[in-house]
Parts: sequence; structure tokens; C-alpha cells
Amino acid sequence: MSEWSFNDLVEWDERICEIAKSHGLDWYEIAYETIDYHEMIGAMAYHGMPSHFSHWSYGKTFERTHSMYNAGLEGLPYELIINSNPSIAYLMLENPLYLQILIMAHCIGHSDFFKNNRTFRDTDAAHVTRRFRSARQRIQEYIENPHIGIDNVERVIDACHVIQYQIDRRGRFRLGEKDLKNSLIDKINSDKIGIYKNIDLNKKPLEPEYDIMLFILENSNKLEDWERDIIEVVRNESYYFMPQIRTKIMNEGWASFWHYKILNELELPDSLHIPFLKTHNQVLRPWGGKINPYHLGFEIFNKIEQKMGIEECFTAREVMSDESFIMQYLTEEHARELNLFTYSPKGRKNPDWTIDDVTDNEGWPQIRSALISSISANSIPVIYVDDLKDGKLILNHEHDGRDLELDYADNCVKNIEKLWKGKVKLNTIIEDEPFEI
Amino acid sequence: MSIFKEHRTIADRSAADRSRHKRKIEKAIREGVTDIIADESIIGQDGKKRVKIPVKGIKEWQFIYGDNEGNKQVGSAPGAPVQKGQVVKKGQQQQGQGNKAGNDKGEETYEVEISLEELAEYLFDTLKLPDLDKKKFKTMVQEKPKRHGTRTRGIRPRLDKKKSAVERIKRKSAAKRAGNIELDEEGNEDFPFHDNDLRYHHIKERPKDATNAVIFFMMDVSGSMTTNIKFIARSFFFLLYQFIRHKYEKVEIVFVAHTTEAEVVDEEKFFKRVASGGTHISSAPFLALDLINDRYHPNSWNIYAFHCTDGDNWDEDNDKALAAFMELRDVSQMISYTEIVLSGERPAWDKSDSSKLWSRMKSIEGKNMKMNLLRSKEDIWPAFTHLFGGNDV
Repeated sequence: MSEWSFNDLVEWDERICEIAKSHGLDWYEIAYETIDYHEMIGAMAYHGMPSHFSHWSYGKTFERTHSMYNAGLEGLPYELIINSNPSIAYLMLENPLYLQILIMAHCIGHSDFFKNNRTFRDTDAAHVTRRFRSARQRIQEYIENPHIGIDNVERVIDACHVIQYQIDRRGRFRLGEKDLKNSLIDKINSDKIGIYKNIDLNKKPLEPEYDIMLFILENSNKLEDWERDIIEVVRNESYYFMPQIRTKIMNEGWASFWHYKILNELELPDSLHIPFLKTHNQVLRPWGGKINPYHLGFEIFNKIEQKMGIEECFTAREVMSDESFIMQYLTEEHARELNLFTYSPKGRKNPDWTIDDVTDNEGWPQIRSALISSISANSIPVIYVDDLKDGKLILNHEHDGRDLELDYADNCVKNIEKLWKGKVKLNTIIEDEPFEI
Repeated sequence: MSIFKEHRTIADRSAADRSRHKRKIEKAIREGVTDIIADESIIGQDGKKRVKIPVKGIKEWQFIYGDNEGNKQVGSAPGAPVQKGQVVKKGQQQQGQGNKAGNDKGEETYEVEISLEELAEYLFDTLKLPDLDKKKFKTMVQEKPKRHGTRTRGIRPRLDKKKSAVERIKRKSAAKRAGNIELDEEGNEDFPFHDNDLRYHHIKERPKDATNAVIFFMMDVSGSMTTNIKFIARSFFFLLYQFIRHKYEKVEIVFVAHTTEAEVVDEEKFFKRVASGGTHISSAPFLALDLINDRYHPNSWNIYAFHCTDGDNWDEDNDKALAAFMELRDVSQMISYTEIVLSGERPAWDKSDSSKLWSRMKSIEGKNMKMNLLRSKEDIWPAFTHLFGGNDV
């Protein structure tokens, strides 16, 4: 081990926790595990989950991270913490002491966010590691079952991964089929102007169903029990991770906001403080052509504190998600400081990418809407089940001006067919024309 | 206060998933291989030729947005000058360089460069000639003279005129460089052959194992074989040739080309020749039968025959062809009849998927008489595995 010992970590942690508490942070207890870089890459491949079902895609992730790390193209993330109670976080043995201090302070910010942000309220952090472990064991049994086997298990997981984010993004609360029907019947009965006249109460789904896996579970009669179980496993994992996708900027911003405050209050000796500042600036620098969530979130929380006080920061961390956070707090003036701009390719065959708008009076509204569409889960196209006709599953793409990548969409549909075990059709728009896959 | 503990190492947890991923990549290489086997540029090349096979990274499909103008990206560059219309990212040039192929959505494409020999290794790994018997007299060894390079001493009849002329030219240009070319009385250069220029064939008596398998490559080269059909037929035979040469050293290959009449041609002619004329498919199996009668007695030879045609046989020949193939089948380990029908090239009045001969041949299809219908070059590889077993790639 390098310049630090286990005891150093314990001592610094004590001081960090003290400062964090004095500011009113309220986090899950954190369980740090020290690991080497190889184990870190392994942990990353499985989203930090101590136990996760097996699938080739995690092997691919491992290989990619590993080769990029070896080629010096990518540093490893300094921190990895999961939304569980206690929150499991990893400290890499190769890290110098100042970095461990920074990470521990940063992790408290994350854990506080997991515990207090409303988006996370249904993630059941207390039982998540148990759930993942049990899912892993069951899927392992299917793999080892001679009547099922790895190829079949992979087919189902591959297909589920295609639609893993095609779920109700705001959480799984919605009316059940029966309640929905009753509410529609009420509407039809009290309908005086006839807008509900043409509603077919036998249509499936009655309203657009955004949770494609759920729709398949509820409406397919061709699924084996083990297939249903795998679909449930992937679907539950999606609901568990969706809040993290929807709060990436806030979550990283909040953690960075707090590590910066805490480390400044720690009165570090120069030998630790200077490298800390260097790393902090490195991690929080703007990326130019892309939004760095650490940078944007940190900037906005700082602005809120300056203008509205720290209480407002705590309110935001409790009730907002990235979309509302940007809408609410990112001002045009601030966007100018951040020098936000939008750009896109012009034309079809390997065109140049040029700037469309820069932040000025004229460009701000466009920039704001482009920013909103590119963050959170908005970067994932929305596909929903529109209809079920003669056993054919009809999906629609909610087109918002952005066309789908067709090769991907085509392969997605093929994969969904394997899960649905029947024909699947997707309606979208390509270059302003309706398009069917 | 937080909890600290050392991580309990649970072996290398991603090892199984990594090896699963690796297997998928190897499969992708095989798939890439079958994509290029019918590529024009490799037909007729020798084993040293190196080819590039694009191997796509194993994709995890998801619905994603494409690169289009509606899909605006947002950047942030505090302090830097930005203005409308400024180029942020140059479009990639079409020619591309090095091993960066494909520009689809940041997914990796590996380009694996391998020689045709290695390619054969990948392809033919699990394939084999079916039913290869140990025939009785296979250990006959015959002495056969064979040319083996050139020597500076030899007898007149074995003079290698071409090589000798080359040697003279070499000597002449060396002399020119040195500036000592002599002129004769008329002022012409005088530069006669010198004894040292002469090269003679060297003949070696080499014991040669008698081959115990003969393979007939029979191709229809009649006028109805369009360029595209011929291309597929040649690709098929080229692959077959590579396969035989790769796996079996001691196999004789007889190339037969036919229109209304069949003839034995050499390898080069077989692959390159252009012909025209009518079609009597029966001519090819009959010629093969004659040759078998003369030289390749079924008691000592394993016999294989592969025939490729567009199926456009003259009507009066169909029954004869069937009879000929039946006879050939009975003396062979395996024969195959392959028909190439390109969907776009079938006459409009002909709605059938295959020819009249096809349906007749169908009646004798079996373990040692295999049939293939090729509609595009993508069908070549499946046909191949159909003939020689092997795993599906």
C-alpha cells in the first residue's frame, strides 16, 4: 500500500462526516471497500453492484474499459458508489491519499442525494443488493438448467436490453387496466360533446403503454415462466437505475458542490490541498462539445447558493430532477457565462457539424430546449405500445424532430420480435415522412 | 462514521462474461469471413494474398437517435469565441484511412487482416469431403519426372529459352552501366549470348504417391450463363478449390467446361474462360464417366463431382442428363448439382424457381447426391456447409 494506511482513511472520514453533518447533510451509512484497479474495472462493468447476473455485455464493458485504460485513453472514475443502504462505495488502492479524501467527501454528497431526492423514493435502497443477488442466482440456475441453457437465456436478456429504458420514466405508478377502463367508462357516460365517442374499450392498450416489457408480460401467452422471470429482473433493474439517469447532472453537481465545500473546510496541508484543486479543476472542466454533468450541476448549485441561499439548494436536491432543475434554475445570463451553443450535422453524407445557435437573446430558447432534450432520459427515444392487432405488436416512436438511427431501430424490432414471439411493427418518421419498420 | 473493509476478492468475477463475449467476436470473424469469400477481389488469388475482414463489435442494440440536423448537440465553452455557422466538427472524408471502417454510431469495427490461407483455416476448419474411403490400391507409388527449377549446366533439349534471354538482358544492362558495350563494323551493338547466360531445366525424378481421390469440377459455360451467374459459379468453384487444396494435398482435380459438348480444360481456362453456345448438361457427366472408365477406377479412387449451371438446359437433353448423373452418382462418393438462379435475371414468363432439370434431379437427391440452389452470393457459404457438413457460422 502506498502513502496511506487504513487508519488514515478512518481518521479523515471522521472529520469529513463531522463537517457534512454540520451542514445538514443526511446520508445512508457508507461502506467503503478498498479494491485494486482490476477489481475496479470489474465493479464498474456491473454498475458497482456487488452481485449482478451474468451477461456477455458486461464482459464487453470490462474489455473496453480495460483496453482504454491501458491505452491511456481513459482514466478510471475516481468514485463508484451505489444507491443502497448502506451505500457501498469503492476506493481504489492505487489512489493517493488526497484523492481518497476527495472521493469520501464526494460520496457523502451522492448518498445524501440517493436518500433525499424524490426521484429515488421507490428504489428500495435497503434491499437492493439482496434483490440483485437473488436475481443473479435465479438466472444462473436457468443458465445451468439443461432444458434452458445459456443461449436461450442470452436471447431473452439481449432482447430485454433493447427495451430496458422503454419504461414509464417517471416511475411505475399508473392506473391498472381495470381502473383505466372504469375511468374511461365514466368519461364516456358524462361526455356531452362527443370527444370520447369513438373510444374502443376493447383496444389494447387503452392508452399508450410506455412500459413495453410490462405490456409483453401482461399480454403474451407464449412466455415460459423463466422467461417472465428474466423480463421482470431486467425491468426491475431499469426502474432502479432510471432515477440515476434522470438526475445525472444534479447528482454529480450536488456531490461536487459538497466535496468542494468539505475539502475547503478540512484545512488540508498544501501537500494535499494543491493536488486536490488540480483534480477538482480537471474533473469539473467544461468539455467543449459536450455537457459535462459535473461541471453544469456544480455551476448551477453554486449559482443557487449565491442568489437564493443554501436552503434553496436543499429544496432543489429534494424535489427536482435534471429537467425541472434546468428549467427552474438555469438562467440566460448564466448560460451566457457557460457559453452554451448547439450544433448539428448539415446534410447526409459525412457532413460538417456547424453551430446552429449561440446563447444570445435570439438563440437562448432554442438552446434551452435542445439542452432539455439532450439530458436526463430525454436522450433516449420514446417508444410506446400503440396497439395490438391480430397478435401483431404495434409500436410508435414519439417523434420530436430527431430521427432514429435506422439500422439500430431495425435490429431492435427484430429483437423485440424474439421476445414477443410474433410480429412487431414500429412507426416512426424519417426525414419528415412516415416510416414503418 | 463509515464502514471500511478490504474487498473480498471473488475470483475474477467478469471472467465468464468476458469469454462469452470473446466467443461472440470469433463468431463475428467467421461471419465476416463468409461475407468476403465471394468478394470479386479474392477470386483467383493465391494463398498469400491478404484480405481485410471487417469484424463488427458485438452491438448492444437500443433505440438511439441518428446523426441528423434535428438532433442538436449542446456544448459549453466558457471564454471561447463561438458563432453561428462555425464548424465544430469536420465531416469524415470518405476514403477513410487505416483500419477505421464504418462510421456508424461510434460502434467499434475491427478490421482483421488475414491471408487467404488463414481464411481457409477459419472457413474449412470443420468441413470435410464426406465418405472418403480407404480404397484398396491407394498405396501405388509411381515415379514421375518433374521440372524443378533451373541449372547453369544441362542438355540442349532442356534449354530454358526465356530464362536464358533474361540472363542475357541482365548482363547487357550491367555492361551498359559499366560503359563497355562493343560495336560491330556497322556500328550496331554486338552483344551475343554467352555460355554463362544459358539456363537449363532441372528435372527431378520424384516419387509420387498415387492420389486416391479425384474431383470433377464441371461448369456450364454456355451462352445463357450471364456474367453474374458465372461470377457466382466461379466463386463457388474457387472456394471449392481452396477447400480441396487446403485440406487434401493428394487429390486430383479435373476441370470440365461444357456447352453442348464437354472438354477437359486447365485450371486457368476453367476460371477465366468466356464461352458461348447451347447447353447439353449431360455432356459433362458423360465425359466424367469416360475419364473414370479410363483412369479413375472406382475400386481405387474416391470420386467426387460438382456441377454448376443456370439450369437452362435444352429440353431434349434433360432425360439424358438425369441418366448420366445417376450413373455418375453410382460410382462416386458424392456428387452435387448446383443451380444458380438470380431472382432478377429469370425471364418474366418463367415463374418457376428452378428449371425442369431441377425437378428431375430432385428425384435422385440423397445422401450422395446433393442439390443446391444459389440465388445470390450470400447463398454460397450455406451451400458449402450443406455439402461438407461443418458447423453453422
